[in-house]
Amino acid sequence: MLDFLIEGFKQLTISQVAMWAIGALLIYLAIKKDMEPALLLPMGFGAILVNLPLSPVIKEGSGIISSLFAVGIEASEAMPLLLFIGIGAMIDFGPLLTNPKLFILGGAAQFGIFITVLLAAMIGFPLTDAASIGIIGAADGPTAIHVANTLNSQYLSAIVVVAYSYMALVPIVQPLVIKMCTTKKERTIHMKYASGEISQATRIMFPIIVTIISGLIAPESLSLVGMLMFGNLIRECGVLKSLSDTAQTVFANIITLLLGITIAFQMQADKFLRIETVIIMLLGLFAFVFDTIGGVMCAKFMNLFSKEKINPMIGAAGISAFPMAARVVQKMGLKEDSSNHLLMHAVGANVSGQIASAVVGGLIIGLVTKLM
Amino acid sequence: MLETFKQIFSSLDPMNPETIKASLQIMWQGLLAIFVVIALIIVVVLFTNFAIKKIEKMKADVEKEVEESDKY
Repeated sequence: MLDFLIEGFKQLTISQVAMWAIGALLIYLAIKKDMEPALLLPMGFGAILVNLPLSPVIKEGSGIISSLFAVGIEASEAMPLLLFIGIGAMIDFGPLLTNPKLFILGGAAQFGIFITVLLAAMIGFPLTDAASIGIIGAADGPTAIHVANTLNSQYLSAIVVVAYSYMALVPIVQPLVIKMCTTKKERTIHMKYASGEISQATRIMFPIIVTIISGLIAPESLSLVGMLMFGNLIRECGVLKSLSDTAQTVFANIITLLLGITIAFQMQADKFLRIETVIIMLLGLFAFVFDTIGGVMCAKFMNLFSKEKINPMIGAAGISAFPMAARVVQKMGLKEDSSNHLLMHAVGANVSGQIASAVVGGLIIGLVTKLM
Repeated sequence: MLETFKQIFSSLDPMNPETIKASLQIMWQGLLAIFVVIALIIVVVLFTNFAIKKIEKMKADVEKEVEESDKY
């Protein structure tokens, strides 16, 4: 007679309870440790929501989270791409335009992506999954979601959780790797910052130039790069202040809020709780480590040909985790020498990594699609 | 050891030569492409900067000439 009251309990499985624990862990990390709370908290709560038996939120066709996923991610990756408009509106490319050679460091700091694709392939992941796992090294949530979903990776949820978790761990992972790759003398290299005035015309032309060049060489990157540069153009044009403010704040917040809970659709126990998830966590760490090594070694290589030496730590800021990577480098620079302010150079490399990671995301999609 | 690995991770196919070959191709083509994009962006940005500065200098010179001719 009272069976209807215990229907939910009867259908509960151990793996669903395990997912509640994982959801609670993400919520704890978001609140107590301040680790990417804008994403980890909705994902954590969503993980609990979708792992309750008979949950209507994931009902095919009518569930709110399944519908958000179908429309916002599966259909056209709308959510991560629209978020890139907000991110583009937040970025000031001035430090990069003052010293364009920092762009090279942004490219070098994507090395971890490719080496991780290779390692994942050697471990035995199919090419689409290996490429999606490698893109964790982009250190950029929307890029990781876009690539993993476009390539139909079966590990989307694990990839997203790992990508956002490691982005928050940049201040812990990077300093160790930087110290391993550099000497104290190298870490104390001073760099002059010439705050040359960048004309508004250059600031307006830059997003247009980047879009055209990326679109011609890596057409598949146009979704990511195009939205990023569109957001930046709104910021720099000077006549759309209220749109720029909205893109940076309200718009970005709304998309972020929906994105986190939508991604939780993939955190159902049967999709997430797999032994491969642990391997993906290790591969994600590998990607971040080799991104840092790639950027630092490139800076050291550039110093062989450059009169004005680059502090190799700046290379580590080429990782797309903005602005954390820049802050890590600034902090390390000041620790080695309290008169060594590297922030503006680090920011230049950091924002170049934002563009480079978006281009690489598109390249990965294009190259994998051609090889399939 | 490979056999034990395959038993535990039955969904994975370690050391598959086709997949490794494809990922090596992705690696060299991807790295080449990103640096080509970056090099082109740097060149175009430097040229654009130079051109804009030149135009602004010419404008400033013309305005200065007009001011001086107005004086006389």
